[in-house]
Amino acid sequence: MVSDPIIREGKLGTRVDLGKLEDIFSKHPERNNTNLVIPVLQEIQQIYGYLPAEALKKMSRHFNIPLSHIYGVATFYAQFSLEPRGKNLIKLCQGTACHIRGGKEVLKAVENLLGIGHKGTTSDFKFSLEVVRCLGTCFLAPVMMINRNYYGKLTPEKVRQILKSY
Amino acid sequence: MKKINSIKELNKLRKTLKAKYNPNKLRVRICMTGCRASGAEEVMRAFEEETKKNNLCKKVEILPTGCHGFCAMAPVLVVDPFDIFYGKITPENVSEIVSQTLLKGEPVMNLVYEDPVTYQKVVHSKDIPFYKEQKKIVLRNCGEIDPTNIFHYIRRDGYLAIEKVLDSMSSRQVIEKVRISGLRGRGGAGFPTWKKWELASNVKSEEKYLVCNGDEGDPGAFMDRAVLEGDPHSVIEGMLISAYATGATKGFLYVRAEYPIAVEHLGIALEQAKTLGLVGENILGSGFSFDISIKEGAGAFVCGEETALIASIKGKRGMPRPRPPFPVESGLYGKPTCINNVETLANIAPIILNGGVWYAKIGTEKSKGTKVFALAGKVNNTGLVEVPMGITLRKIVFDIGGGIPDGKQCKAVQTGGPSGGCIPTKELDTMVDYDSLEKLGAIMGSGGLIVADENTCMVDLARFFMDFIQDESCGKCVPCRIGTKRMLEMLERITQGKGEVGDIEKLEMLAKIVKDSSLCGLGQTAPNPILSTIRYFRDEYESHIIDKRCRSSVCESLFTSPCQNTCPVELDVPGYINFIKEGKYEEAVKLIREKLPFPAVCGRICHHPCERRCRRGEIDKAVAICALKRAATDYAKHYKPVRHKIKGIEVAIIGAGPAGLTCAFELAKLGYAPVVFESLPKPGGMLRVGIPDYRLPKNILDEEIKWILCAGIKIKTNTRIGKDIKFKALLKKYRATFIAVGAHSGYRLGIPGEDKNGVAEGIGFLRNLNLGKKQKVGNVIAIIGGGNVAIDAARSSLRSDAKKVYIIYRRTKSEMPAMEEEIEEAIKEGIEIIYLASPKRILGENGKVEGIECLQMELGDYDESGRRKPMPIKSSEFTLEVDMVIPAIGQKTDFSFLPEELQSPDKINWRTLATPLSGVFMGGDCRTGPATAIEAIAAGKKAAKNIDKFLRGEKIEEVKIFVERPPKRKRVEEPSSLYHQRIAVLPLSQRKNFKEVELGLTKTKAKLEATRCLRCDLEE
Repeated sequence: MVSDPIIREGKLGTRVDLGKLEDIFSKHPERNNTNLVIPVLQEIQQIYGYLPAEALKKMSRHFNIPLSHIYGVATFYAQFSLEPRGKNLIKLCQGTACHIRGGKEVLKAVENLLGIGHKGTTSDFKFSLEVVRCLGTCFLAPVMMINRNYYGKLTPEKVRQILKSY
Repeated sequence: MKKINSIKELNKLRKTLKAKYNPNKLRVRICMTGCRASGAEEVMRAFEEETKKNNLCKKVEILPTGCHGFCAMAPVLVVDPFDIFYGKITPENVSEIVSQTLLKGEPVMNLVYEDPVTYQKVVHSKDIPFYKEQKKIVLRNCGEIDPTNIFHYIRRDGYLAIEKVLDSMSSRQVIEKVRISGLRGRGGAGFPTWKKWELASNVKSEEKYLVCNGDEGDPGAFMDRAVLEGDPHSVIEGMLISAYATGATKGFLYVRAEYPIAVEHLGIALEQAKTLGLVGENILGSGFSFDISIKEGAGAFVCGEETALIASIKGKRGMPRPRPPFPVESGLYGKPTCINNVETLANIAPIILNGGVWYAKIGTEKSKGTKVFALAGKVNNTGLVEVPMGITLRKIVFDIGGGIPDGKQCKAVQTGGPSGGCIPTKELDTMVDYDSLEKLGAIMGSGGLIVADENTCMVDLARFFMDFIQDESCGKCVPCRIGTKRMLEMLERITQGKGEVGDIEKLEMLAKIVKDSSLCGLGQTAPNPILSTIRYFRDEYESHIIDKRCRSSVCESLFTSPCQNTCPVELDVPGYINFIKEGKYEEAVKLIREKLPFPAVCGRICHHPCERRCRRGEIDKAVAICALKRAATDYAKHYKPVRHKIKGIEVAIIGAGPAGLTCAFELAKLGYAPVVFESLPKPGGMLRVGIPDYRLPKNILDEEIKWILCAGIKIKTNTRIGKDIKFKALLKKYRATFIAVGAHSGYRLGIPGEDKNGVAEGIGFLRNLNLGKKQKVGNVIAIIGGGNVAIDAARSSLRSDAKKVYIIYRRTKSEMPAMEEEIEEAIKEGIEIIYLASPKRILGENGKVEGIECLQMELGDYDESGRRKPMPIKSSEFTLEVDMVIPAIGQKTDFSFLPEELQSPDKINWRTLATPLSGVFMGGDCRTGPATAIEAIAAGKKAAKNIDKFLRGEKIEEVKIFVERPPKRKRVEEPSSLYHQRIAVLPLSQRKNFKEVELGLTKTKAKLEATRCLRCDLEE
């Protein structure tokens, strides 16, 4: 999902292929209209795995929407990330049911195994971790999603096995 | 798919679909929404392969459906037309289901649902307790249809309601029908739906909007998700009808981005509806036009709030604005906007089709219809349930929910998520509806029901919710942005041991301010969990603040390991278990003795609350901590204690039981000269005169008491205060006194015939036995009661002269207060326990007991103890021929020797054990009522500490000072994966005497058992 448009130069620098943005922009003909901000941001993130600064600048110019507005929205909603993220996005639920059923231990296990915390990305860009509140699968507590796969009734041991399989 | 141009065409299509549908065809309805997370896709593929293999593709329909509700049994499927339910199915089970059920029509018995309480197999879903009490209106199609196929929906009277509306109803009439139904908004606030529609309808505007609020953000709620994934058309149809009633011209379906399957299914459903012309211009040729777009949320809980949601639709930051004006007057783009919840909308079509009166018949006076609840947390049957309003929470949690896992006790039920409150067990019989829950300080909320058990810390739960709220607060208004931050800080301090007296009041004050002045519902309801937990669990807050203890063993800064934290004397359990693992028995005993002067005694008779909380118990079985303690004392080399002589201040202790002796021991260690007065000929209290030899051999008890007395304790036996020495005289002579007389009096049954020869009260019976006094023991004995005294009396009678022993208990086995091990051994030894029976009168001629007449009981409603009250069944008398009756129905204390102000235990400060009389302290069974040895020992220690402070003229501090725990040491070894080691017991044939029954662990077994300890005291 992420490999194509991002050209990685070493671990720190990334150059972004902005050509992909044209496909998105062409789907939204309106200008000066903030209605499309959230859907467009979602589509940009779908392609790049995050919201590259250059993409946002281009978006602002194209749709004639102030960059400050776009940043305001990008930083308000939890879904958006301004930092490059790993190939596999782990969403670990710390909702009420998961919390009561031992979610804390599972989070600790993930943090220890990957060496990263909430909103962190492993140095090899393999995993990004996000702690979320409630994936709506409370009957499976404690739960985590990796990309679109759900893993439920977790224990620290199960977590170890699941992460190994990626 | 062709566009449907008229109601007639739609009708015809529906008739055709119904005609073509064969209800007797073989169908496998398998949940492909939530169950995907448990491998439903693999199961479905297995079915496809197996049916292909068996050439059944034409005969069998494999139908992917939405949520069946019984998520605890995922993956779930039902085989029609038999209605055979299968849960927890793996791909390996599929071939059996195909060959047995699909080919032969028979259930596969080892895969069929088994009731966890009765162990009965239940084949059909309609008979399973989880489903029996439910009434599915909102969830009518979930689990029955393929949500990605609009024709399935149409066939089941889908889009029939909008037909009726377009054909024969005005918008007024639609609103009126909804008014009669009494439907209230299901998003949480419970605003009457008809009123919202009417308000929107009355505003004159060219453009009006209808928004479906699918931003189900409450952690713990997944009702709307099931509807959106499993029956999206019910929501679309609801929107159409709502739009018609309000005059809306355009609709938005706002769905959380965190629900990808819902977004997908809604997209498919909407496209199909548009293709068929059911959404869009001139619907069914009626002239009514309504278009719907899907808008995805982007991860903001606050966007569930109406005005924030509107801002989000406009591509802005989801921040609310002040109301009035309300969205119905001026909402999206300044136009009238009606916002309805998913569940509310899913109710609309059935109301139109069946009538408002039909709906109003369900539910309570002010809360009509059904409610979908998401049961989660510490409950066996997690999942979705739809029940009529007015059902009790107890029914939902226990009858439908299957109760609490692992035999734990329910503590509270949290409703309404972070905006809601908790309802304690004693209120569980409340009927669920909007108003009754509000009275309790909770709210109905969206329907998330989280069950908390005894291991949930309510302060931590409040902190958890406030943490969530702080995260999700949009930041616009000061009360919420700063108020929630401060409340969170306070809660964090409290859970970390840094709570201060006055914090609770500060929290309450701040909570009120935030509630009153926040801009939107998020801030206004944020304090609810705090206020609610303070209301019902204030003692937990006080425990964290004053005692610096988290009794649920959750707040990590306040304890090292849960076993140690649960032990009333806080023994270093992992420490001594580790010594046992290394064979260092003397070190183990030394470590235990640092805090407990009765290691060998407790290793035999303690009721081990530590084991109940042992984390190993969550994996397989708790570590046998009590047996390990005994093993250490069995194998440690004994050494003679050194006799001390003390010249300090004399302190009087009344009672040489565990509380009195421990207090004396601790005082002697501190340099005082305790003088213990014991009314019986020998010391030990209940340990001697209550517990029989086969549980606690007297020589073991004597040795430990000798050890204790060597500390320099003077003891005067056969001396009763009140008789031999007056209490006032004691007070004059001694500067401090500890009253620890225990609870050695029994209760009378209060039935005719009780004064006959042959009726011996239980505690007295055991006392005589244990002091070696001669007493007559009958041949056939009936013991009344269900506690440890009853079991002790029963097993002792059997070892004396009795040939047959009955125990008559008025409730059932699971409610018996006696220790489980004791009950099991009693049954093994042949004692017949008659449950649900109560004595009516004792029979016999010439003043001798010849029989006992009992009544059978049944369990009625719950009383304050949380147990069901036994109710006598009319004319159910039965008689047992017995020659002795031993009542053992409770213990009380004879306070007559004390002055009046000391006769009520509630006047005693339970934190310091100080009585209203200066220098006089009281603890143990006489203060609490009959409890346990270890609690009495803990009371003795506390009393000694405070007597010391008192005598030194220091203030007896209530509030503990928090001492930061040292960092945990590194782990060296991994715990073993062995199953627990069984303790050897004396074979039945060898028990016709008072020899000790439990033989303890061998050295090898003790070592192995010790390796099972997870060492929670070490670093992760």
